[in-house]
Amino acid sequence: MASQTAAVPFWRAAGMTYITYSNICANLVRNCLKEPHKTEALTREKVHFSLSKWTDGKPQKPTLRSDTPED
Amino acid sequence: MAMAALRREGRRFVPLISPQPISAVQSSVISQEQAPQGVRSISTQVVRNRMKSVKNIQKITKAMKMVAASKLRAIQIKAENSRGVWQPFTALLGDNPSVDVKKNVIITVSSDKGLCGGINSTSVKISKALQKLTSGPEKQSTYVVLGEKAKAQFIRDSKDNIELCITELQRNPLNYTQVSVLADDILKNVEYDALRIVFNKFHSVVSFPPTVATVLSPETVERESESGGNLGVLDSYEIEGGETKGEILQNLAEFQFSCVMFNAVLENACSEQGARMSAMDSSSRNAGEMLDRLTLTYNRTRQASITTELIEIISGASALKG
Repeated sequence: MASQTAAVPFWRAAGMTYITYSNICANLVRNCLKEPHKTEALTREKVHFSLSKWTDGKPQKPTLRSDTPED
Repeated sequence: MAMAALRREGRRFVPLISPQPISAVQSSVISQEQAPQGVRSISTQVVRNRMKSVKNIQKITKAMKMVAASKLRAIQIKAENSRGVWQPFTALLGDNPSVDVKKNVIITVSSDKGLCGGINSTSVKISKALQKLTSGPEKQSTYVVLGEKAKAQFIRDSKDNIELCITELQRNPLNYTQVSVLADDILKNVEYDALRIVFNKFHSVVSFPPTVATVLSPETVERESESGGNLGVLDSYEIEGGETKGEILQNLAEFQFSCVMFNAVLENACSEQGARMSAMDSSSRNAGEMLDRLTLTYNRTRQASITTELIEIISGASALKG
């Protein structure tokens, strides 16, 4: 099955980390559920936080990441 | 009946009697309330206002304690279930807090809201001590701060060492997806040899000691496994599939970081609710004691004013009798 011996897997070549990859897979699995469980499971995917980088002791403008389950 | 007539006459004459100088015992009570000199009836209004506000505060803190208790119950289940997610990693890779690396990143987990006792201060204290410990010539440590409370404390004296600040984490109930997206963002923005996560581990409602969890970068794991020690056994595992050891270590390191962060954030949230419960509990108790003391003062004041009135009436009446 794996014809690659030392080649990088497709998702890492595309710039994703393992975490992003597993989140996308988890989202696919959640979408396979049937109705009442599906909405419950999708509420467990809500993302909300605000990130601000600091350079030289000064905060930059914060970026809000919200309601995007994956990147 | 005669007494009643006397009393009535006494009261009629009371306004005519010049205001008595207030006796020394009562003046201490009056001076607290800042009544103007020479006022006869001692006002209990000030003490009554204080009692009302203290009682309201007591009710509010009791309610906050109940709310924290119910939130704690909900999140404690999640935290205990999340412990199983990072344990296999520790079984495989071991825990190496004493690893010596060039670039350390200290991730401090704290709360956004206050009124939760001293947990945020202890986390910040430990982070600062860790930073002193792990910096030196050719070594460097920086901070990633989660939560408003720790951010406020770090801004005061460690502004230059902060890399990232993350807030508003608990807007929605905590779930793995959110924490893993956060972990992903941290990994993208920060270069590290070892990540040290400082959080308050939840042992029980009254015990939440600060703990440090260490996650090594894949290169560091390689280095350590080659030099023997705990990680030396890593080479004895067989690798299936088409991936190299470096690949696997990288995937593992990212996933380990995400799992450890998830557990850390949940445990810290539990500890926050537990600390808030005990803080609000001691606050209600203090409010109750304060209320008792105020009630005593109130009764003393009230009785003193009644006694003063009686004295005036009686002395007025006896002045009449001649």
